[in-house]
Amino acid sequence: MENEAVITMKSLCKFYEMGDQVVHALDAINLDFERNDYAAIMGPSGSGKSTLMNIIGCLDTPTSGSYELNHQSVAEMDDDELARIRNKEIGFVFQTFNLLPRLNCLRNVELPLIYAGVPPEERLQRAEEALIKVGLKERMTHKPAELSGGQIQRVAIARALINKPSIILADEPTGNLDTATSHDIMDIFGALSNAGNTIILITHEEDIARYTRRIIRLRDGKIESDNRQ
Amino acid sequence: MLLRETIIQAISSLAVNKLRSWLTIMGVAVGVFSIIAVMTALDAVDKSVESGLTSLGANTFQIQKNPATVFGSGHSRNLLANRKDITYQQALLFKKNMQSQARTIGFIIISPANQAKYANLSTNPDVTLTGGDENFSLANGFTVARGRNIAENDIRYARNTAVLGSEVAEKLFPSGENPQNRFIKVNGEVYNVVGVFEKKGAAFGQSQDNFVLIPITRYLDHINEKSSLSITIEALSRKQYQLAIDQAIGAMRLARGLSIKEKNDFEIRTNESLIDSFRDIKIAIGTGAFIISFMALLTAGVGIMNIMLVSVTERTREIGIRKSIGAPRRTILQQFLLESFFLSLVGGVIGILAGTTAGNVVAWKFNLPPIFPWIWITVSMVVCSGIGMAFGLFPAWKAANLDPVEALRPK
Ligand SMILES: Nc1ncnc2c1ncn2[C@@H]1O[C@H](COP(=O)(O)OP(=O)(O)OP(=O)(O)O)[C@@H](O)[C@H]1O
Ligand SMILES: [Mg+2]
Repeated sequence: MENEAVITMKSLCKFYEMGDQVVHALDAINLDFERNDYAAIMGPSGSGKSTLMNIIGCLDTPTSGSYELNHQSVAEMDDDELARIRNKEIGFVFQTFNLLPRLNCLRNVELPLIYAGVPPEERLQRAEEALIKVGLKERMTHKPAELSGGQIQRVAIARALINKPSIILADEPTGNLDTATSHDIMDIFGALSNAGNTIILITHEEDIARYTRRIIRLRDGKIESDNRQ
Repeated sequence: MLLRETIIQAISSLAVNKLRSWLTIMGVAVGVFSIIAVMTALDAVDKSVESGLTSLGANTFQIQKNPATVFGSGHSRNLLANRKDITYQQALLFKKNMQSQARTIGFIIISPANQAKYANLSTNPDVTLTGGDENFSLANGFTVARGRNIAENDIRYARNTAVLGSEVAEKLFPSGENPQNRFIKVNGEVYNVVGVFEKKGAAFGQSQDNFVLIPITRYLDHINEKSSLSITIEALSRKQYQLAIDQAIGAMRLARGLSIKEKNDFEIRTNESLIDSFRDIKIAIGTGAFIISFMALLTAGVGIMNIMLVSVTERTREIGIRKSIGAPRRTILQQFLLESFFLSLVGGVIGILAGTTAGNVVAWKFNLPPIFPWIWITVSMVVCSGIGMAFGLFPAWKAANLDPVEALRPK
């Protein structure tokens, strides 16, 4: 079962109506991701990368076309099921980190476990383990505002990993980081890929994309190229 | 499990904006306070009225010029104002016609604010000077503690005898000296004290013992302040009570010289009618308090809604983050509903505590035992929680239905 497709998209479209003008953010996308894929999505600004990523992450729904996640049609899922998938199946890492500023690192990382119904002691223990895994043993009780950009992104990654999702999505995870820190973060993704996770990330930088094994280029909502390396 | 987390989150979110939360809470508290305070006070006064209604003896009713309380338009007030006083002549005529159908018939005429003096002691100028006959004590449920009652001869010869209410006796003879055969002065007139009545206690928050009884004939001869008489009638028996009332109306119409077409220009007061007229007051005050409280609570509810809407807007990003990591819609809904629920609940508790205290201060002023209006406390709690939920529902619904992508988009 090495090459099983976990994500299948067929003629997937996302349109935005802006007055009398229709923006084709995604235009008839056909795309598969296999288990343990490690892919980078590239393309100019406005080409539809984030839109695609949000749909894969079940944050957004397509206007038309089909999207199957683990052979299940996402269109047929109700709100609670989508929430469960976002909670258990997918770990999302954002360019702007999206941590809750009032909570310390541990509390931020344990959040998905709350919604998964894990008891408090286990939550805390698992959050600590996740933070240690991304190299933040010393900063666990700090709030996001007290950390550097690279450290915050590690917390965000720890949160994405806490529920052991099989798929990890990252929208420009290094977009706000300097080069050295970016490479540290990519090392973490590399390790996750080696551990068997499916990883899809968006980047603008060629040398970041080189860490992955597959580069998909988008332009005007269409796939321009899809190369495995 | 998840509910516990949601409660913790709701409370800590409220704690972030302490001032704002407290102001909203105070809005609810004011509404609850007004209804609880008024209802507690009313309940307290109600209790006092029940105990005070022995003021009319059993099987007894009164004929007076005007009803105990007057509600209604200026027109009906004017009609009442035009009524003629009940005179002594009318009363005597009435007594002649009614005598055989009643056990006792007593007359009273009162002058409200007088000062009584004995030696170098004097009362406050709030003593009621009552002109009455020998039946006063029977008809009004007083018993003589010391000495004697007013006698028929006192009436016949308009003697300057007086029987003291217990409060007046205590004020003028504080050392326990026997007031009998002492001479007191009321508004300059001298009276020979022949007896003291037993203490009766307060009714409607007022002492019933702060009076001096003198023969009605003496009163009519010597006191310039003339007001309408009231006649107290004791029926022969409980069975004949209603009959006696009907007969008394007939006798009074005759005494007043009313033609068949004219309406009664006097009122019959019974214990029941006193209760009724008090109930009217109670309903009027209660309705007023209810309307004011309702408005206040409505305003508080709008305040809660406003604050929650602001909160949802401010925390759009937080909501987006929570949804993106798997918070189900109902959890978000719960969290925001709980916040508005807490605001109104805490407001309700504060309002109840303050309102019960204020109501009991009134009760205490009236010398009444403390009261806890459980019914109103329960009603307030239910209404408050209801308001918190109802007005919090829209903001919470709005939060729960935020599109995560929209919510997370940098502003
Ligand atoms: N909510 C929206 N309403 C209207 N148009 C939108 C909306 N969201 C995205 N778009 C449009 O869809 C297109 C794709 O946007 P998207 O955010 O996916 O681009 P992107 O490739 O992620 O760009 P960037 O590299 O700048 O992040 C753009 O033209 C954008 O203007
Ligand atoms: Mg983007």
